[in-house]
Amino acid sequence: MAGLIQEAELFGSDMPRIEGLREKARASFWLPTAKTEAWKYTKLHALKADDFVVAPSKFLEEMEGEAEAEAEEEHCCCGCHHEHNEECSCGHCHGDGEEHECSCCGSKEHLAFAAYELHFENGKFVPIYPATPRGVEIMTLMEALVTGEENHLLGKYIDYAKYPFAALNTAYLEEGVFIRICKGVKLDKPLALINHTQNGGENLLVNLRNLIVLEDGAKAELIEYYRYSGETKSRYFNNIVNEIYLGAGAELNHCRYQNEAFKAVHIALSSVRIKSNGIYNGFCLQKGADLGRSETQVRLLEKDAKAEVNAAYIMNGWATLDTTTDIEHLSSETYSSQLIKGVVGGEAKGVFQGKIHIAPDAQKTEGRQLHKALLLSDNAEIDVKPELEIFADDVKCSHGAACGELDKEQLFYMRSRGIGEEEAKQILIDAYLTDVIARIPDLTLREWLQHEI
Amino acid sequence: MMSTPLLEIEDLCAGVSGKEIIKDFNLTINEGEIHAIMGPNGAGKSTLSYILCGKPGYEITSGTIKFRGKDLTAMSTEERAREGIFLIMQYPVEIPGVPVTSFLKHAVNAIRKHRGEPELDTMEFIKMVREEGRKLGIDAEMLKRPVNVGFSGGEKKRLETLQMAILKPQLAILDEADSGLDIDAMKVVSAGVNALRSENRSMLIITHFQRLLNYVVPDFVHIFADGHIVKSGDKSLAAELEEKGYAEFVKEK
Ligand SMILES: Nc1ncnc2c1ncn2[C@@H]1O[C@H](COP(=O)(O)OP(=O)(O)OP(=O)(O)O)[C@@H](O)[C@H]1O
Ligand SMILES: [Mg+2]
Repeated sequence: MAGLIQEAELFGSDMPRIEGLREKARASFWLPTAKTEAWKYTKLHALKADDFVVAPSKFLEEMEGEAEAEAEEEHCCCGCHHEHNEECSCGHCHGDGEEHECSCCGSKEHLAFAAYELHFENGKFVPIYPATPRGVEIMTLMEALVTGEENHLLGKYIDYAKYPFAALNTAYLEEGVFIRICKGVKLDKPLALINHTQNGGENLLVNLRNLIVLEDGAKAELIEYYRYSGETKSRYFNNIVNEIYLGAGAELNHCRYQNEAFKAVHIALSSVRIKSNGIYNGFCLQKGADLGRSETQVRLLEKDAKAEVNAAYIMNGWATLDTTTDIEHLSSETYSSQLIKGVVGGEAKGVFQGKIHIAPDAQKTEGRQLHKALLLSDNAEIDVKPELEIFADDVKCSHGAACGELDKEQLFYMRSRGIGEEEAKQILIDAYLTDVIARIPDLTLREWLQHEI
Repeated sequence: MMSTPLLEIEDLCAGVSGKEIIKDFNLTINEGEIHAIMGPNGAGKSTLSYILCGKPGYEITSGTIKFRGKDLTAMSTEERAREGIFLIMQYPVEIPGVPVTSFLKHAVNAIRKHRGEPELDTMEFIKMVREEGRKLGIDAEMLKRPVNVGFSGGEKKRLETLQMAILKPQLAILDEADSGLDIDAMKVVSAGVNALRSENRSMLIITHFQRLLNYVVPDFVHIFADGHIVKSGDKSLAAELEEKGYAEFVKEK
């Protein structure tokens, strides 16, 4: 095995700000072992089975004037092949500013509802920008770093000793976007980062880094959608880091949906910092991948900062899906609430690790956490590790965990009305996840994910 | 008139968790007939109804059950339901998170699919359910609630009756459909049951009291004790039973 850190030619290697970040991260990367506490339930065998490779830098290719060859390549918008002079009929890619359904690809890659879509193909950003309202700035991360727009926020608060895969991500820092929602701007439609892996994504190690800044009073919805089409047995490794900054009174509804190929690896960290009266409402549905970990770190920095970190996972086969949260109440009168629900079948393993930390002067805070899982087979497994670290005395803090099976009486009742066994199970699974899905504030997103269960 | 047998149970011995509860049970129900079964607590009436529905865990040790001439025991629970067997359960099950209407829609469509009929249009379906619900005193608000969750005893039985009215089974088994009903509800539920009476639809009514049988008049009444029928008669047997209690009949065997 070549190891995850390899020689790679990346954009900006002559720029101290960019290369400095990478160098520090390269030196800090370490691979968790069976003895690493934070990874004791989630084993990394899936990473060792293959040699992952990083794709050549698209930024460098473009700079070297290879753009000419592109016409014969896969079409960047929809993945369909087009002859040299034939125009793509999707209308998406000619920048005419209007929103269309993509007619050449059956619109599969587009969401079924209106959103400001940003697409990534096999980990590379497709440079088509939606027409967003004033006060919404979107650019590639490299552009933000080169122009200094990111204000040295990138990587500022991520501890590589704690998050080795964030170090790996930073070592290859290049792809990803910077999004800033300016003061008081409220977005009318969700922003969607659609990550599409398909044939050609085989064995790729993809490192995506997004920096999201909501200034004071801004409000937005952010979707992250990881989807796959192509050889069903493809292996690849999507390693994602989102850094999210919420200003005073800012509100972000963040909805992640991980539906990778069933042999893929998906490890993600969302690191969220919230100022006074800011609200972060996160929801993550994990369904795909052989090894999936969605980790959320929230820092409630000032009074009246609130966070909800909810998640659902559904799995079968031999997958391991891990939901890990770490909520730090660093100021008085801050609030957090978590509901995590899982459905585990086959020989799969669900992992939930939830830490709530309440700092000494974070009085009158509230932290709630509940994890529930439904085991569909005898060989399904659940590992739960709640952790409360409370250093203040006037707090309301609770955690709970429950684990059950499908109710036999309910199944019989439904079947006695003619409903087939599989359908009855699915109805009960849907019902089981209803309350956690209900925590997604937006009806459109709620219906979308309800349908995806 | 030639009578066509719908359900034929012969020398049935069956039970649950290794305990034999039904012993040498025999009963034939012809198309269009209404049979009532009365018997003391713990006699095995509910057990019999579960066995007819193929509830997992219930085992037949010997004997045969035929439904329309076909071996019923070879069918799964859902197949039996699709073939036209419906059970009003003594203790209807609560299903949190599943609204009544969507539950009913799954059931109706499963049965329609089995019959090779197209799925019902949602709007039409909702209209039909509301209509049937109104007849049984179930309002639209209740139809939105999760199945049986927080329903009172009587409301549960009304909902069971509504399901029966919508699924229109060929054999309806009513296991204490009358328990927990107030006098008005009893009338409403009986009217629902009577509305389903037809030449080729049969019913097996399990009850402790003559009350229901005054509204839904049976063709036959059987006394069930110790795992089988100890005496059969017409509706007057129910009256006799009400007067004398079980002791005399149970002794008779
Ligand atoms: N799962 C089980 N395991 C062991 N015994 C059982 C089980 N289910 C039922 N029984 C027993 O079988 C007998 C018959 O029960 P059943 O519920 O069929 O009676 P019933 O005639 O319906 O009574 P009731 O009039 O009270 O409803 C009872 O003694 C009961 O305790
Ligand atoms: Mg009973």
